[in-house]
Amino acid sequence: MTALTDMLSPTFLLRDALIASVLVGVVCPLVGVYFVLRRMIFLGVALPQLSAAGIAFSFVAYRLVVGVHEHGNLSERSLALLGSLAFTLGGILVLTAFERRGRETVEARIGMTYAIAAALTILFLALDPHGDAEMVNLLKGDILATTQTGLKLLGGVLGGVVVVLFAFRKEFLLVSFDRDLAVVFGKRVALWDGLLYLMIGATISLGVMTAGPLVTFGFLVVPTLTARLVTSRMLTFSLVAAALGGVASFGGFYGAYRLDLPLGPAEVALASVLFAVVGGGAMLRGGTRLRAP
Amino acid sequence: MDVPAVALRDVSLGYDGRPVLSHVEFTIEQGEFCALLGPNGAGKTTLLRGMLGLVPVLGGRIEYGIDRRTSPPGYVPQRESLDPIFPLTVLEVVLMGTFARLRPLRPVGRRAHRFAAECLEQVGLAPIAGRPFWSLSGGQKERVLIARALAAEPRILLLDEPTAGVDPGATVAIMDAITRLNRERGLTVVLVSHQLRIVRQVVRSVIWVDGGSAVKGTAEELLTAERIADVFGAVAAGG
Repeated sequence: MTALTDMLSPTFLLRDALIASVLVGVVCPLVGVYFVLRRMIFLGVALPQLSAAGIAFSFVAYRLVVGVHEHGNLSERSLALLGSLAFTLGGILVLTAFERRGRETVEARIGMTYAIAAALTILFLALDPHGDAEMVNLLKGDILATTQTGLKLLGGVLGGVVVVLFAFRKEFLLVSFDRDLAVVFGKRVALWDGLLYLMIGATISLGVMTAGPLVTFGFLVVPTLTARLVTSRMLTFSLVAAALGGVASFGGFYGAYRLDLPLGPAEVALASVLFAVVGGGAMLRGGTRLRAP
Repeated sequence: MDVPAVALRDVSLGYDGRPVLSHVEFTIEQGEFCALLGPNGAGKTTLLRGMLGLVPVLGGRIEYGIDRRTSPPGYVPQRESLDPIFPLTVLEVVLMGTFARLRPLRPVGRRAHRFAAECLEQVGLAPIAGRPFWSLSGGQKERVLIARALAAEPRILLLDEPTAGVDPGATVAIMDAITRLNRERGLTVVLVSHQLRIVRQVVRSVIWVDGGSAVKGTAEELLTAERIADVFGAVAAGG
């Protein structure tokens, strides 16, 4: 109980980290709703890895073009964010372009992307002699090191993502559920797809830099699939997914703080426990509404 | 003389620059009830999708008697093309039809909800508005998709095999609903179907799609026993 009181205190030492953790926990599932509904779940594995490759690339590029950079300062995080966003969005655009034209399977494309991104990340890190622990922390997503500035950026960007997702939810639903009907209605399908991908890219980039690829992928998928088990309306699906993400991230933080566990895995493990409990409950009630993605 | 609802002028349609249908030329008048018929794989769905702007026009032109921006066509796709992973109630599916006239940032208000409920009423499914869409039978889903098309307030309704895979009772209910919309509201209807016996009873004109092109005529002209036997077998010809 003391740990919980500590966490809720305004002077809690890790207050910024807690808020950042809950923000990622709430917003990733809102974006994850479209990952699940558009059957892009495996893309959720490849994109955080691409984001990591983008971070590593930005440092190498800076060193080659400008010169040696200092780790740990604000410009480094901005540089990393830029690289992460560029690689993530580029990856989404290339993969979706191939989706419409390519002949090989989706799994093959995503598997290739993951393998290439993982290899590039290591190579880029090896090319930067200053690729020290600070940079590794950035790639791991050291949420406990969240600063006031980092939190403001995270809050601003993820807040913007939430506003866009809710403001244009009818457009995103239409182009996701029945693309042909959207075309027949004269909607600018490419524009809405592009905006949705921008939201996905921004969330993944910031999620990876704040919480790491594991937490980002975990929260894109697990709370969303859990919510799908118990909802039959679009709005409640999104809201329940976000609420479950918030509960799992807060509860995971509490568990990690109380038991001195690594934060990210604790959060994802709790989200998975919630999935098992809700899934078990749904099965006991006489069948699940989840269709295999 | 009224402007035709749709006119195809020497149209070629296809994919990746390769035509599936060439030199197609016909008009569909306002208020006409027309069936697209022909053997499997002849290009009926390609022609329907071409008329909707979903398949590239490789040559010629398609003229619409309506302004598609202010009055978009009502489209009923094959229901298998929709993914059951989406958690949607019947009313939510029908409401999507109202998005045709809603600008971005405009909320789906009470008027849209009322109108969607009226459209459901027209296909006889108002009592199940709150049920999950995917829990319905094939015939009910099809009628919900017709209600969704009506929610766009169209003047032309295009349906892709609305009676495929549904039982005879549901087939009659679907065709009844479509026929009423054509007769009572003057809606132009174009449908792709394999149900020759039922189509024969309700349509006045037929577009026969075969051999890479399409011709239009009356049901009596085009649905000859020889042609039907040739394509669908002797049983269909007899019926």
